[in-house]
Amino acid sequence: MNLVHETVSFVQLFPEAVICGTIMAAVCSAFGVFVVLKRIVFISIALSEAATCGLALALVFHASPLACSALVAGAVVFLLALPEKRHHLPKDVVLGTVFLLASSASVLLVAQSGFGLEEIKAMLYGDLIVSGPRDRWVLLLTGVPALAMLLLFLRPVLYAFLDREAALVMGIRCWVWEGLFFFLLGLVVSGASKSGGALLVFCLLVVVPATALLLARRLWTAIGLAAAIGVLTTWAGLLAAYRADLPANPTIIGLACLLFGAVGAGRWLFRR
Amino acid sequence: MSDRPVIACRGVTVAYGRDVVLDRIDLTVPRGTLLPFVGPNGAGKTTLLKACLGLIPHQAGEIRCDFGSRPPAYVPQQKQLDPIYPVSVEDLVRMGLYPELGWWRRPDEAQRVRAAHVIERFGLAPHSRKQFGELSGGLRQKTLLARAVVSQAEVLVLDEPTAGLDAASEADLLALIRTLNADGGKTVLWVHHRMDQCAALARQVCRVDKRGVRVTDAAEVRP
Repeated sequence: MNLVHETVSFVQLFPEAVICGTIMAAVCSAFGVFVVLKRIVFISIALSEAATCGLALALVFHASPLACSALVAGAVVFLLALPEKRHHLPKDVVLGTVFLLASSASVLLVAQSGFGLEEIKAMLYGDLIVSGPRDRWVLLLTGVPALAMLLLFLRPVLYAFLDREAALVMGIRCWVWEGLFFFLLGLVVSGASKSGGALLVFCLLVVVPATALLLARRLWTAIGLAAAIGVLTTWAGLLAAYRADLPANPTIIGLACLLFGAVGAGRWLFRR
Repeated sequence: MSDRPVIACRGVTVAYGRDVVLDRIDLTVPRGTLLPFVGPNGAGKTTLLKACLGLIPHQAGEIRCDFGSRPPAYVPQQKQLDPIYPVSVEDLVRMGLYPELGWWRRPDEAQRVRAAHVIERFGLAPHSRKQFGELSGGLRQKTLLARAVVSQAEVLVLDEPTAGLDAASEADLLALIRTLNADGGKTVLWVHHRMDQCAALARQVCRVDKRGVRVTDAAEVRP
């Protein structure tokens, strides 16, 4: 009874946190299924950091956070979309450099701006609790259309990722669908970074869908399950943080990682 | 059906940077042929077929292809597909319907029946609900071949379909490939690494080596 009462009072106190958390979790986790399947986990962390760097730019220049994060994330997407030459360094090196550059630039920008450690922490870890109506609209206008587009074009995107050469021979323009996917991913990460922070967005893009993929046997099931696990973990994390007076985002991340570990262990035991 | 050759290459050069793999080669592939491409590793067998499919650009010469009313079907090596994708055998075979369905339409009854029939014919029915990653190498390769057949392509291009398979799976798959050509009238071009099998499989082979590219009698091929 006490839990129900606390849940109701939490929702009444922080409705925007619940709404923003729900949208972000559903969208990022659904997108994350493809991030995990395409083995581009490193791209997602580089994109998250690039979006965070954009937020730092916005903080310094008093510009729109969404515009700045979308701009920087878009630049990274463009860089990744460039064709890979043979015999050159692997793409991971470029991604690692982008990650390091974006991370250090975020800290340096905020350090030069006169803001303090709290702002850096807020950017890196985010804080869903302080989400407002503006964040909700940003998430709605970026995440929901992006997810709708992904689901609409699921077939060519899947085929381009699964078997690129066969898809090309079938007449699927793989570079179009890959480009669209990365553009949408950049949009989603940019929209979610301010409320979620780089770490939570990364967690929703990787840990939650990986958990769903351990359980699901079909792609649609994996996408639905990832969204559901993401939303439930976010709700549970928000409530646990409220009850225990903990920061919300790291609590959600901790719960998602614990769930992933439990599902992984359960699967291992089941297979034995 | 057209009498024009499926592939006609004239003076084709393909290079990866400065590394010239195929140098001014000529090749004509008649329709309805079963043609293994044989030769030493790195000679350019796969490169030649990929260039004909438009997957690799060629630096000089002309490639003319007439694959018929449908796009050709390309069958990669089974290890090229990442087994972590949660797609079933049925899902993967239905991927062959994409040229008809596009990105939006759902398969109609006739297309579903066609896919089911091919799955049955290839002996994949007991595995149709299994994930691709759960299958043995032989069954994976059969699934990819079934996808090619579902597409109703007139030309099938296979990249070392028997690589990494045990003897029984290899014999099974080669029998299927021969049937597709003999009964189905498909043009089947495939990269093959076993020169000793060529005489038993096809009348002619396409040899790709340092001397260039030429079509010869299979009986002339020595391992």
